Order: sequence, then structure tokens, then C-alpha cells
Amino acid sequence: MKRTIVVLLAVMMLLSLVACGEGKPEATLESSSSALESTEANASAVEPVGLTEAFAEYPILITSGGQSADFQMVGTVLKKQNMDFFSNGVATSAEIRDNKTLIIVVGGSSKGLGAAGIDANGELARLEELINAAKTAGLSIIAMHTGGVVRRGELSDKFIAPVFENADYAIVVKDGDQDGLMASICSKSGIPCDYIDSISDVVTVLPAAFK
Amino acid sequence: MKEFFKKPIFPIITASVSLVLAIGIMVAAGVSFVKCWDVPMPIEGPNVTEVKMLSEWYDGLKDGPGDTPVYVLKGEGDGGAMLILGGTHGNEPSGYMSAVTFIETAIIENGTVYVIPYTNISSMTHNDPGEGNLQYFTLQTKSGERIFRFGSRATNPIHQWPDPDVYTHHPSGQQLSGSETRNINRAYPGREDGTLTEQIAFGIAELIRTEDVGITFDLHEASPEYPVINATVAHQDAMTIASEGCINLLLSGIDMALEQSPTNFHGLTHRELGDYTDTMAILMETANASQGRLRGGTSEEQVLGGVDDYYLYSESIGMLFVPWDENHHPIEERCGRHLQGIYEYTMAYNNAYPDKIVTYSGVPSYQELFLDADKEDLGGTQLGKFLR
Repeated sequence: MKRTIVVLLAVMMLLSLVACGEGKPEATLESSSSALESTEANASAVEPVGLTEAFAEYPILITSGGQSADFQMVGTVLKKQNMDFFSNGVATSAEIRDNKTLIIVVGGSSKGLGAAGIDANGELARLEELINAAKTAGLSIIAMHTGGVVRRGELSDKFIAPVFENADYAIVVKDGDQDGLMASICSKSGIPCDYIDSISDVVTVLPAAFK
Repeated sequence: MKEFFKKPIFPIITASVSLVLAIGIMVAAGVSFVKCWDVPMPIEGPNVTEVKMLSEWYDGLKDGPGDTPVYVLKGEGDGGAMLILGGTHGNEPSGYMSAVTFIETAIIENGTVYVIPYTNISSMTHNDPGEGNLQYFTLQTKSGERIFRFGSRATNPIHQWPDPDVYTHHPSGQQLSGSETRNINRAYPGREDGTLTEQIAFGIAELIRTEDVGITFDLHEASPEYPVINATVAHQDAMTIASEGCINLLLSGIDMALEQSPTNFHGLTHRELGDYTDTMAILMETANASQGRLRGGTSEEQVLGGVDDYYLYSESIGMLFVPWDENHHPIEERCGRHLQGIYEYTMAYNNAYPDKIVTYSGVPSYQELFLDADKEDLGGTQLGKFLR
């Protein structure tokens, strides 16, 4: 009798634990969920189509998409190639001025967001406002993802679709697109996309985009 | 025989034996405890021109438990000043072993390099037994077997106690868990009349201000399940230098992420030393298997070889922020990353400030320390070959 009661109590305790456990949280990738879902199944099979003709013009405005320091590193690479640009990690429509090309370097960083004093939703809102203004002003938009696999994951992925879906051209470090997410977005939207091996290779493809 | 146990003398004998045993255990534990207070120092390398104490820059530390040696390496040529902070956290061995390696190998050509192997020397005088941490590890070096301490993240509570319930950072007013009051990387810029940890931080900041230190490196490790790993964190004023150095590290095959120091997270070197001094503050993190929550039992092989099969499994289920394979992350890779990082960021600094250059040679590179090593020498043997 005692043994039966002990077993019953143990089963009840286990059931109570199950009851207390939280279910798996709902997917929260509001901003990029559609792109993510559509690419997951067959993404890795997509091979991007590279750029074939120049379309962009100087001057260039560089900003971040997610506040990782990758936009500053891209700036350093361009500086080494004597390419002129204006860089502002938290650029808004006010910074568009007479710029003709907007480069957005995507990569989420919680430290970077902290440094900028905004959260992920605030960053998404800033990007939306900037991209809309850039399109209205007729700027070319180049999306970059140069941080590789380190800049993938829940935070970084939030910024990929909103930027890449609005780009005229994309440059991606291949290692960061093992699931083919970015190649798939580009393929679906007819955006030329070049894979490179590392951030320093940006200069092997970017100059060809400028008339 | 049964009669003996009934005699009144029996309880006295058993009590005496127990007492002697207890005293023996107490003495053995006490000796082991006190031995930890003796922190082995680096052997002076070819270019150590002076060994000062931090109290030379802030005399409130003099002869106290926070007064730590500062190795001065002065080059023959003119130049700027650089500071290397090892041992901010005593349980992050690649930080202080990189500083020790620099002291024992560097030849400075231009400028002056200040190296503090044990920034929070109090944290080296104890460990975290609740974590099952080691007290020591050994390395075979040119002069034979040498012992190095494995310390704690925080100041020894013997030297600073009790912890408050809530730690309020000076001067920002940021509030953190009470135990962070003994974490020197939450204590900058420090203050003269503060806790011991804040006084050490103040001493470091005074050294930087007095010696006009242009670039400061703070060498850390992190658990493999921590997002900021194999990474550099730089103050916003140092981002141009850090970007150039980081690209050069990537070009030399070292996977390094770069992060800008958040403005709203206070007490850290990369925030406060940048804000309260004129130095370019840069912090680097490597992957330490003996520090994480998912690790197996702590051993010398884990500390030096980075070997931990639980991390291999954790990698397979996507729990880590650093790639992990059967090569693990030996001390040579971790020190190599720090030392190559110091080199590349210093070169970038020299490009930006040609009138304040710091140049040196003799320090093993990532290639020499890690890539060129025989596999069986990784885990301490290769590092030991460069130490005196």
C-alpha cells in the first residue's frame, strides 16, 4: 500500500513539473519570419547570381544593420582602397543628403546596440525609415553581410530580410550563408549577389558595382 | 576485548585520536591555503628594464594586498607607451600567461611597454573551490618545471569583505550583484577612498594618466557558451585602430569578431579607461574550457589543453558561440591569439600615431606558438618552450 502511494506521489510530482514547464516560445522573428520560413526548406541549394553590370554612383553612405562593428571594418577596407564614403552607424534619412548609394552592413550585436543606445526594434524602425527615404530619393542600396557565421542567429537574422529584400545588390561572406538564407532572398527578388570568402575581399567585387 | 570498550578510558582515547586527526587535517588545509598567497612571478626577460609596484602610481596601495608588480620594458628608440593587463581575472589563464610570455620574450625597439601580469593580484591568492578549480598548474620551461597559480575571478574576500547586497558602481551609480564589488573589471575608473578593488583600478588609471599610455590591452578568457568570445571589444575612440587590426588578424587566419564597447555598461576597462584617460582601450577574449557551465571535471588537461568532451557534445547540439572540434582550444592557441592581437592592434596604432609608435620583436606569434607546433606539444609544452 505504502509503495503504491509513494509511486503515485512521484508520478504526481512529475506531472506537476510538466504542468509548470513553459512551452517552447512562439517564434519571434516578426521582421524576417516570412523570408526565413520560405528559405528553410530549399535554401542551401540556391546558388546566387553575381553582379554583371555597374549601377551605383558616388558618394556613398555606409551604415550598420544591427550595430555590429562590421560596418566600421568595411569602412576600413574601403579606406585602404581609397574609396570615398561617409559612415554613420545610426544614420537616418537626415544623413542621405546628396549621397547616391547606401551601403548597409548587416550584423546584430547586443553590445553594439547598447553602445548606440537602442534596442533591436528601434534599430529595425531606423532601418525602415532610412531605406524608405533612400528609395524615395533614388539611392542605390547595397546590402552586405560580412561577419560570417558569427553574425548569424536570432539577433542578426532579424535584420537580414528587411535589408536584403530592399537591396539592388548584395555581398555576402559565404561562411555566413550556410543555410542559403541570403542567397535565397536575393534569388527570389532578382537581386544580384556575390559570395566572398572574407571581409577583406569586399574590394574584389564592390568597385565593379560603381559606374 | 568487550570489557575494554566498556572502560571509562575508551571514550577519552577515541576523542583524543579524533582531535589529533582534526588538528592534522586543519594544519594541512591551512598550509595549502596559506601557500596560495605566494604568487609565482615571471622571470625577467631580455628587455625588462625595471620592476616597479603599482603603488608608485597610487601610494594608497603600498605594501597592501593589491600592490602588484609592473614590469617596465623600455626600448632604445623614442616612442609612445603601451600597457598590457594580464590577470584581471585570475581564472582566465591565457590572459596572464600571455602577459608573462611578453615579459619573458619581448625586445622593445621604440617606446615603453608596461606589463602587469596579475592586475588583480589578490584574485590570484585564492580560487573558487566550489567550482572544483585547480590551485596550480605546471609548465616545463627552459629553466625546468615552473608552477603557475590558477586564481579566482574576484578579489580574495580575506582582503575585501563583506560584499554588499547590491554593488553600486562609482561614479555611474550602476547597480550590480553584490559579488561584483570584488570584480576589478566592474570597478574602473576606481577611486582613492573606495574598496581595495576600486583602489587597484584607480592605480591602473593613474599609471595610464601619468605615463601617457596611448594604448591599453586587457586580456581575458570567456566560457565557450558566452556570446562575446574570440572577440575584441574596443572603446569608441579605439574603433578605427581596432577595425584595421581586426582585418589584419582575419587576413592572418585568426577568426576575430569586433564589438564596440556599450556606453551604458560601466566599470569595464574598455569603457572607463577610454572615458577617464586618453588611452585606446582594447579588451580581448579567448575560449576557456575550464570556465563554463557545461564543462566536465576541471583538470590540468582542461585548463592547458582546453580539452573537454562535454563541449564537443555541446557544439553538436548548437550550444556554443565558438567552434569546437577534437582539437579543442589549447593554451597555445589562446595565448597566440592574444599576442598576435596585441601585435596587430599595435601596428594599427602606430599607423595612426606615427609620433607615438611602439615597436618590438621576439614575442612568439600565433604561427610560432600554435600553427607550427606539433600536435602532441599543444596543451602547455609548446608554450613552455618560449618561457625562461
